[in-house]
Amino acid sequence: MNFLATSIESLGAKVVGWFTVAYGMFAFLVQASLLVLHPSTWNLATFDVVIKQVYFTAVQILHVFLAYALVISWLIITIILSTARDFGLTEFASEMTIRTLVLELLPFLTALFIALRSGSAINTEVALMQVNNELDSLAHCKVPPMQFEFLPRLIGGVISVVALSLLAGLLALLIGYLAIYGTNLAGFEPYTRTIAKILDFQILAGLVVKCALFGLAVTLIPVTAGLETPKKLFMVPVSVLRGMMRVFLAIVAIEVVSLALKYI
Amino acid sequence: MNNMHFKVGLFAAASLLLAGAFMVYLLHARGFFEDTFHLQLAAASADGVAPGVPVVFSGIEIGRVTSLGLNDAGGIVIHAEFLERNAKWLKENSTFTLDKPIVGGAKIRVDSPDLAAAALPDDSTMLLLTSDISKEIPVLVERVKAILANVEHMTRKDGEIDATLANLKTMTARMTGEYGVLEGLLGSPEKARQVTDSLENLRALTARLDDLAAKTDQWLYAQDGTAEKVQLMLSDAQSSLKKMDALMANAVEISADVKEGTQDIASLRAEIDDAVRKANALVNEINKKWPFAREPEVTLP
Repeated sequence: MNFLATSIESLGAKVVGWFTVAYGMFAFLVQASLLVLHPSTWNLATFDVVIKQVYFTAVQILHVFLAYALVISWLIITIILSTARDFGLTEFASEMTIRTLVLELLPFLTALFIALRSGSAINTEVALMQVNNELDSLAHCKVPPMQFEFLPRLIGGVISVVALSLLAGLLALLIGYLAIYGTNLAGFEPYTRTIAKILDFQILAGLVVKCALFGLAVTLIPVTAGLETPKKLFMVPVSVLRGMMRVFLAIVAIEVVSLALKYI
Repeated sequence: MNNMHFKVGLFAAASLLLAGAFMVYLLHARGFFEDTFHLQLAAASADGVAPGVPVVFSGIEIGRVTSLGLNDAGGIVIHAEFLERNAKWLKENSTFTLDKPIVGGAKIRVDSPDLAAAALPDDSTMLLLTSDISKEIPVLVERVKAILANVEHMTRKDGEIDATLANLKTMTARMTGEYGVLEGLLGSPEKARQVTDSLENLRALTARLDDLAAKTDQWLYAQDGTAEKVQLMLSDAQSSLKKMDALMANAVEISADVKEGTQDIASLRAEIDDAVRKANALVNEINKKWPFAREPEVTLP
């Protein structure tokens, strides 16, 4: 009886913990959204920080990212094409390529890429600032951390994931065309038809929203996880670990929900 | 110049440009800059048709079904949309067929036998035919089953084909015997030997017949042969008839004088007629048997 009560109690504590975390994120998001809409936020200084964030998140890694997208796309397209040929379903190969790569796999991998590189860095940085009381000092010096530290990171993350997914998707379309038709221009018409068939505006809007949510997840969750860190230095790795786990779960959840909305 | 700002600016500009170009391309691909061509299809059954089902011409998608519903008379009306550039393949004599393959989704196939025909006007209504392979399969399977049952019956153990093959085997075995194919056809070497013996006899018989024919020839047509004798006999008969002629002439003269004797003469005439008929029959009989060149008719005056 005692054991049952203990397990129920621990379950309750976990649920409360999840709700606290979710509420913290939600409250933070609302605060950030209100700030975005506030005209006084958009001064040159904020803009400058946003540009810096986009530079560190997207531009700095562009060549590595494009090479990575190229290899992944080429591999997957080759596998799909050879399988389609084996089963005599070549007519569906281009459609399959676009659906799996452009709509699902590349945005997902982009989000993972940014999460591993920038998300973890953001989490560590915010946790260290929290432990070292830097955030309080900034606020004291009339430099609100929300406006100059967190919001630019969120905006930079969203812009980066959307832009990188777009570039990777276009690259995959190009590679797909080259893999199916070669450098021959004769395939342009049917390829265009396939693209037009798949990418209606609902799907396209869904794709953009999904990428934006990915961008938000890989920045918002690390920031809130960093802010939760107790003021002890040894808690920083724990905070990063928790933050990255949440980022991963969030990315998978977004992907699953988007698939469910699309196909169910 | 701020290097970082330049790079970010370049990245943003390139991304926006590519995104914009892709949007324009997509708008073009989806026919945003073109008019839409509408078509209504009247169908007996809308089974398998749903919004999004492609309309294909020569295997290439040229349009899609947008909606389907019932009209006031309870008939099914399928609405399809085409881009203006694809509408040129729709002609007034085009046929529309609903294809439901075993693998893959349903599609509406357009066949335009004459591309020079007049183009279909916008918003026109055409008939949708159905070709459903899956409905023909059960019938086909039944027929194949019946055929297979027959084949099975024919090829069963101790069946007709089995027995035929066994017979064929014994026949070919016999064919390898002394009398070859003949033995194979007749069944045993004794019978085959009888046939060859008969053939031998036949040959001897024809030789003898040859002989006989030569003898007959001699007997008939040689000096003092039978044919000559018959000829002599006939000329005798003719001379007798001439004498009879003279006799008749005398009799006619007598009859002119003696009217009372007419009755007797008539009976005499009948007797002569009878004799002549008999002689004629004899000549005919001979004529039937031997081909004489002479006219055999014996005429009475």
